[in-house]
Amino acid sequence: MSVPNVFGPVDIAVSGMRAHAKQMEVISSNIANSRTADDGQGQPYRRLEAVFRAEGKGPGGVTIDDIVPDSSAPQRIYDPGNPKADSAGYVMMPNVHLPVEMMNLNVASRAYQANAAILRRYQRMVETTLELLR
Amino acid sequence: MIEFDPTISSILPNARPMMPQAANPTAAKGDFSRAVKAVGEYISKVDDMQQASDASVQDLLAGKNNDITAVVSAVAKADMSFKVLVGVRNKLIEAYKQTMNMPL
Repeated sequence: MSVPNVFGPVDIAVSGMRAHAKQMEVISSNIANSRTADDGQGQPYRRLEAVFRAEGKGPGGVTIDDIVPDSSAPQRIYDPGNPKADSAGYVMMPNVHLPVEMMNLNVASRAYQANAAILRRYQRMVETTLELLR
Repeated sequence: MIEFDPTISSILPNARPMMPQAANPTAAKGDFSRAVKAVGEYISKVDDMQQASDASVQDLLAGKNNDITAVVSAVAKADMSFKVLVGVRNKLIEAYKQTMNMPL
């Protein structure tokens, strides 16, 4: 066994932290655009979702495979005064639901904390092992 | 009633003898210097990691890199490998001292 193998858990925990930080970025984009009726092409903003993928087979870290738009239907909100309203007075609004995003944000931040805890705990484990040398 | 069998090796055929045996004393020659040499090689690896962590911290502070997790990873690796190095070095020096203070 070579010494760099000792760093496996470090790399895995850091990859988890990185993936969940990216997930938080996606969630913050969703929340910031929760009332964006125009995504640049005249369509309402589509909620984004980060897709995670395991790094190879067996024990390993995680990467963000892709960030895909949510294909569910946009919300229709009755707002006849809005300049973008259709003839019936409805405006198309993004398919972002704030309670769902807040829940996902909680999940992402807890997962980030868990990965950071693993990193700290692993460092302590290595220190404990090295104390056996003394 | 538990019957105590003092010859545990009869129960566990794979159990190794507890104490190291000097079965092959010629192979042990130069082991200490080899260990010291291995530590010397490990020092350069540790130094590489320290420099990588320093560089990543400087990149972060200079704004070239905004991935803080990469910095955390580099610093954690450098820290852990340095602790390994210090532990092994202390043990080697202790062994050397004990050998030198051995009354002949």
